[in-house]
Amino acid sequence: MSQAPNENPSCPGKKDKHEARRDFLKQSSALMALAFTPPLVVKAGEHDEAIAGLFEKMPVSLEINGKAYQLSVEPRVTLLDLLREQLNLTGTKKGCDHGQCGACTVHVNGQRINACLTLAVMQEGKKITTIEGLAQGDTLHPVQEAFIKHDGFQCGYCTPGQIMSAVACIREGHAGSPEEIREFMSGNICRCGAYDNIVAAITEVKQGGHTV
Amino acid sequence: MNQFSYVRPASQQAAIDAITRDSSARFIAGGTNLLDLMKNGVLAPEKLVDINRLPLRNITLNNNILHIGALTLNSEVAAHPLIKTHHPLLSQALLAGASQQLRNMATTGGNMMQRTRCSYFYDTTMPCNKRTPGSGCGAIGGVNRMHAIFGASDQCIAVHPSDMCIALVALDATVLVAGPKGNRRIPFGEFHRLPGNTPDQDNNLGKGELITGIEIPHSPFTNHVYYLKVRDRASYAFALVSVAAALDISNNTIRDARLAMGGVAHKPWRLHEAEKTLIGKTPTVENFRIAATVATQSARTYQHNAFKVPMAQNSIVTALQKAAAV
Amino acid sequence: MKKQAVGQSMDRVDGRLKVTGGARYFADHQPEGMLYAALVCSPISSGRITAIDATRALRAPGVADVVSHLNVPPIPGYKVENPNPKQGLKIFYDDRIYSNGQPVAIVVANTLERAVYAATLVKVTYAQEVHQTDMAGSIDKAFQNKNMKDYQRGEADAWKKAPVSLEAEYNIPIEVHNPMELAGIIAHWETPDKLTLYAKTQGVKSVQQSLKTLFQLPESQITVHSQFVGGAFGMALRIWPMEVATIIAARKIRKPIKLVLTRKDMFTLVGYRPAAKQRIGIGATADGKLTGITHEAIANTSPYEDFTEAIVNMSRMMYACPNVNTHYQLVSLNLSTPVWMRGPGEATGAFALESAIDELAHQLHMDPLQLRLINHADTDPEKNLPYSSKYLKEAYEMGAAKIGWQQRSQTPGKLEENGWLVGYGMSSGVFGAGRGRATASATLKADGSLVIRSAAADIGPGTATAMVQIAADATGIDVKKIKFLLGESEYPEAPRQGGSSTVSTVGSAVNDVCRNLQQKLGELATANIPAFKDLKVENIQHEDGQLVAGNTRLDYAAVLQQQQLPELMVTTTSQAGDERKQYAMYSFSVHFTKVHVHPATGVVRIKHIVSVADSGTVVNTKTARSQMIGGVVGGIGMALTEEALIDHRFGRYVNNNYADYHVPVNADTPPTDVLFINKKDPVINPMGAKGMGEIALIGFAAAVSNAVFNATGKRVRDLPITPDKLI
Repeated sequence: MSQAPNENPSCPGKKDKHEARRDFLKQSSALMALAFTPPLVVKAGEHDEAIAGLFEKMPVSLEINGKAYQLSVEPRVTLLDLLREQLNLTGTKKGCDHGQCGACTVHVNGQRINACLTLAVMQEGKKITTIEGLAQGDTLHPVQEAFIKHDGFQCGYCTPGQIMSAVACIREGHAGSPEEIREFMSGNICRCGAYDNIVAAITEVKQGGHTV
Repeated sequence: MNQFSYVRPASQQAAIDAITRDSSARFIAGGTNLLDLMKNGVLAPEKLVDINRLPLRNITLNNNILHIGALTLNSEVAAHPLIKTHHPLLSQALLAGASQQLRNMATTGGNMMQRTRCSYFYDTTMPCNKRTPGSGCGAIGGVNRMHAIFGASDQCIAVHPSDMCIALVALDATVLVAGPKGNRRIPFGEFHRLPGNTPDQDNNLGKGELITGIEIPHSPFTNHVYYLKVRDRASYAFALVSVAAALDISNNTIRDARLAMGGVAHKPWRLHEAEKTLIGKTPTVENFRIAATVATQSARTYQHNAFKVPMAQNSIVTALQKAAAV
Repeated sequence: MKKQAVGQSMDRVDGRLKVTGGARYFADHQPEGMLYAALVCSPISSGRITAIDATRALRAPGVADVVSHLNVPPIPGYKVENPNPKQGLKIFYDDRIYSNGQPVAIVVANTLERAVYAATLVKVTYAQEVHQTDMAGSIDKAFQNKNMKDYQRGEADAWKKAPVSLEAEYNIPIEVHNPMELAGIIAHWETPDKLTLYAKTQGVKSVQQSLKTLFQLPESQITVHSQFVGGAFGMALRIWPMEVATIIAARKIRKPIKLVLTRKDMFTLVGYRPAAKQRIGIGATADGKLTGITHEAIANTSPYEDFTEAIVNMSRMMYACPNVNTHYQLVSLNLSTPVWMRGPGEATGAFALESAIDELAHQLHMDPLQLRLINHADTDPEKNLPYSSKYLKEAYEMGAAKIGWQQRSQTPGKLEENGWLVGYGMSSGVFGAGRGRATASATLKADGSLVIRSAAADIGPGTATAMVQIAADATGIDVKKIKFLLGESEYPEAPRQGGSSTVSTVGSAVNDVCRNLQQKLGELATANIPAFKDLKVENIQHEDGQLVAGNTRLDYAAVLQQQQLPELMVTTTSQAGDERKQYAMYSFSVHFTKVHVHPATGVVRIKHIVSVADSGTVVNTKTARSQMIGGVVGGIGMALTEEALIDHRFGRYVNNNYADYHVPVNADTPPTDVLFINKKDPVINPMGAKGMGEIALIGFAAAVSNAVFNATGKRVRDLPITPDKLI
C-alpha cells in the first residue's frame, strides 16, 4: 500500500476523496443518514472533520475478552487495527496485514481467524478472545505455561498468534501427533524458528489432558 | 483502503438488489481475498454488501446429491463427515490450501471467486491485462515461474489459485447461482474462464449474480482418491502444480477416472483426454504414464516455467499411484 | 553454596510478558496525540522526481501534512559536506531516485486508515533513467574499494596443480531478514530540541549516535526506548532512511508520529542479504590433503553505499591448507543497501566452501567427514595463533554419532525409504568469537534485590535471562531477586546486539560490575560494621549473597540496612585485553542433516537435523537450544525456500510478501537435536562463553545441499533448492 501509483488503474476516472465522500453521504444507508439533518450533511461535505468522521463511521457491538464494547468505527477498519490502535489491545500483532503470517490470530466465537483480513463491522455481535483474554486472572492458560516451559519463542512477536492458534489447534482435535501439529500450526510463521519447541509445548498440553 | 459504505442485507434478494443497483458494490463473505486486494489497491469498491448472515451455511445430502451452501466455511467442509465419507478428495484438497485460520474464514463461494495470485495483478504499478485491460501482461517476459502451461493467451498467463476447485471440477460439481433474472445452474467446468482476450473476467457470473451453493453428484470415488500438491514449502503455499486424482477400481480394472490439475491454468484444469486413456485399463504405473503424457500434450511454457511439464507428468503419475495404492 | 545459575535450563525472565501479550514492542506504544504516517515510495528504479502533487492528499480527512524533499525543513546534518559520495541515502534531500521503493514522501494523518489512504492520493511524476538490478548484467563493472584487500597465503591458484581438483560456481539470491515484527518507529519531539523515540533497534546507543549528528543534538537530548524487539536478524543494526523521514515529519508537525512499514516495504527499506556469485577452486593430493583453495566472490551493493562482509574469510582459516587466495568484489545495483543478515557473509561463504569440500570428497571417493578431519586446522592458519579453545573434532564425532552417519552411502542415490530417496549431509561453520566494550550499572537495594542496567538490546536470544544467570553466579544472589534491564538509551553504554557477542561483551560487564559491587560492600563493611572492621577487604569471602569472614556472615542487604542506605550503585566498564592478540578466538558448529527427496516431484523434506555447537560455556541450555534451532530454521530457508525475485525490467520485487517469499513454516522443520560441547573457553571472558547466534546458521545450507547430492547425485549450486531444480 505504500507504493502509490500515479493513478489507480483499477478505477479510472475515480472521483477524488472529497467528491466521493459527498456522494457517499448522499446515498448513505438510511440507517446512518436519518440521524442527521441536511444542513449538517452539507457542512460535512465542506470539511467539517467531526461530522465527516461521524458519517463515515458505523456502530458495532462486540464482546472482547468478556467485556462488551459499543463502538463506532469506519467500515474499512480491520478487526486487527481496531484492537491495536483503538482499544489498546496490542497483544495481537501485525506481521503482514494480508493473512500470510498468523501473528494476528484471535478467536471469534471460539474459532481461530486472522484479524487482519476481516472488517471490525463484520464481527457485529461476535465474541472475540485475544491473547489478553486467555489467562484467568494471574493463572496462565496451560498453553501459555507450556510455551514458557518449552521456550516456544525467542523474540516473542509471533507468540500471541502462536498461542491463540495452538489453543484452537488442540480444541479442534488437530494435535494428535507432531506431524499433525506441524501441519495445523503452519499458518503461524515464527521467523526465530521456535517450531520444534512450539510442537513440544502443544504436545505436552494435549497429552496432559488439560482442558483448553 | 478507500472509504466505503457497508451494508448487511437480511435476505438474499436484498443482497442481490444492493449489488445490482450499485456498479461499484461488491459482495463480501470471508473477505480473505477481497480485503487483501483492497489493501493492495487492486480493487476499490465504494460499497461492500456483507452476505455472511444469509442462510447459506449448510451441508446436506438428498437423493445422493450433496449440497454445500455457499457460505459454508472451508474448514467446515473439510471436516464434515458427509464430505469425508462421500467426497474425501474434496476434503483433502481443502486441507491442502491456506491455513486453518484462513479456512475458518474463507467460504465455499468465496473460494471459487478467488482472484489469481499473479504478482503483476497485485502490483498496481506493473502492467496487467487482468487488472487494467490493455496495459499488457507483465508475466510474459517477466518472472513467470508460477504461471500457466495450459490454455493461456497472449493477454494473460495467470493461474487460478484454488485447491478446492480442482477437486470440485474433478467431481463434476454444479454451481448454483441466484441473480436478478432468477436462479441458474452452471456446470463447474464452465464456471471459470480461460483468459482469451478478456482476462479481466475470471468466471461466467453475471452482474448481480450470487453463488448460493454447489451440488456434487453421487460418485464412486470414495476409496481411490488423492490430492497431490507440489509447492515450494511444505505447507501454506500456492501450488507449483497440483493433481486431483480419483479412480473407481474393481477387479483390478479402472472403471472410471477423474483427473484435474491446479497451478497450471487460468481455471481448474480437467484432463478429460487423460482420463479416457485410463478407463478399462489396469492401474499400473505404465498406464499412468500414458495418461500423464496425454495430459500434457497441449502444454506451452514460458521462460521460467518449463519445469512444470515434467513436474505435471510426474505428479499425475504419483497422484494416480497414491490413489490406486500401487 | 547455591547451585550455579550459569549452565541451567532456566525459563526466560520475560517469558510471562511474552505469552500474555504484555511485552510492548515499539508499535505498541501510543504517546498522547500520536499521528500515523504512511510512505509514498518510488515505482521507478532510477531517475528524478519531476513533480509531487499532494493537493488531493492534503484535502483528505484527517491529513496533517505531506512531507517530501520539496517542503522539508532544513536538516542540520545535511549541511555537513562529506567528500565521500557514498554516504548513504539522505532522505528527502533531493529529487534523485536510486532504487525502486525509495520513499519520496511521508503522509501524516490522525488515523492509520486515513494516512494509508491519503498516501495513495499523492501524485508523483518521474523522469525515468536506465537502471540495473541484475548482477549478471553488471559483472563487468565489479569493483573493490580501498578497504577490500585480497588475501594470499603461499601460492595463488595452487589448486590448479593438484592431483585432484575442481572448480565450481555457487550462487545465492537476495534473501530478506523478514523478522515477524514490521519495522518502523514512533518519533516524538517533546520540545524543539528534545527527541524521544520508540524504536526497533539492535542498539539504542547506536540510534542516538546516528541522530545526534543529523539533528545536531547532544546525546542527552535523544531518548531511545526499545525494550522488546520482534526479531531483526541484522536488519535493525543501523538506522534507516524511513526512520529519519518519520523523525523529520514529527519535527515539522510537532506531534508524535508512528510509522509501521508494510511487509512489502521490508524488502526495499531495511536491508537484505546481498546476492553473491562465488567461485571456488580447490585441490588436494590423492589421499585428501588440501593443497590449494581459491575463493572469489562478487556481491551486490547499492548505488550510494558500499556494503562489505566476510564472504571469503572462512576459506582462509577453516582448513590447514598451505596455499589460499581470496578475492572479493562489489557490484552497484539500483537496489537499497544490504545489511548483515544472520550468519552474515560467513554464511554465504560457507555454502560455497562447504559444498566444494563435499564435491572434492566425492571426487576423492572419501567420506567428507574424513576429508575434514584430515585437513583440520590445529592452529589458526591465517593468524598463526593458537586457538583459545577448539573442540571441532569432538563436535564432528558427536554429530556423526547422533545422526547415524554410518548409515550414509558413499555412492549417491543408493538409499530409499517409502519411495523417497534418502541422503545424509554435513558441513561445518565458524564465526569469530568477539568481545567488545560495555558498561553496566548494578544497584543493590536494601531489600536485597539487585537491578543491573545496560543499554544492550534483545532481539530474541534471551539476553536478560542470561545476564541474570551471570549476575546470580557473580553475586550469589538468587536469580529471582535479580533484574536485568536493557533497551533504554539512558542506561550505561553497550554495543549493538550483533555478531554473536552480547553474552561475551555485556556478560563480562555484568560479571565485573558484580565483582565491583562486592568490593564496595566489603569496603563498606570494613569501614563501618564492627564484625568486619579489622579485616582487609580482600580477606572477606562472598557466598550466597553474603559477606563471610570466618563464622561471621552478613547479608548484603544487611550491610545497606545497617548503614541506612536505600541502595548502593556501582558502574563498571569492561573490555577485552591483550589476550585477543595472543589467541585466535572462534566458535565452531557442525551441522548434519538427513533428507528425503521425492524422485518424481523434486520435493525435499529434511527428516532429521543434528547441530553441534562449540561455543564455550553455555549460559542457558534452554535459550541456547532455541537459538540453535532458530539458526537452523533460518538455514532451512536459505537452503530450500528463500529467494527475493526481481523483475529486472522494472527493478521491482515480485514476491515481496510472506505468501510468495517463503520463510519456512512449522511443517518444513523436522525434529532437531542440538548438542553442545559446553566446555569453558579459558581465555575469552570470565564466563568462558563464545558466541552462538551466527554459527547456528553458518554452513547449514551446505549440509542440506550435500545431503541432497547424497540422495540424488544432483549437485545444486544455486540456492534455494526448490523442487524444479531436482526434476
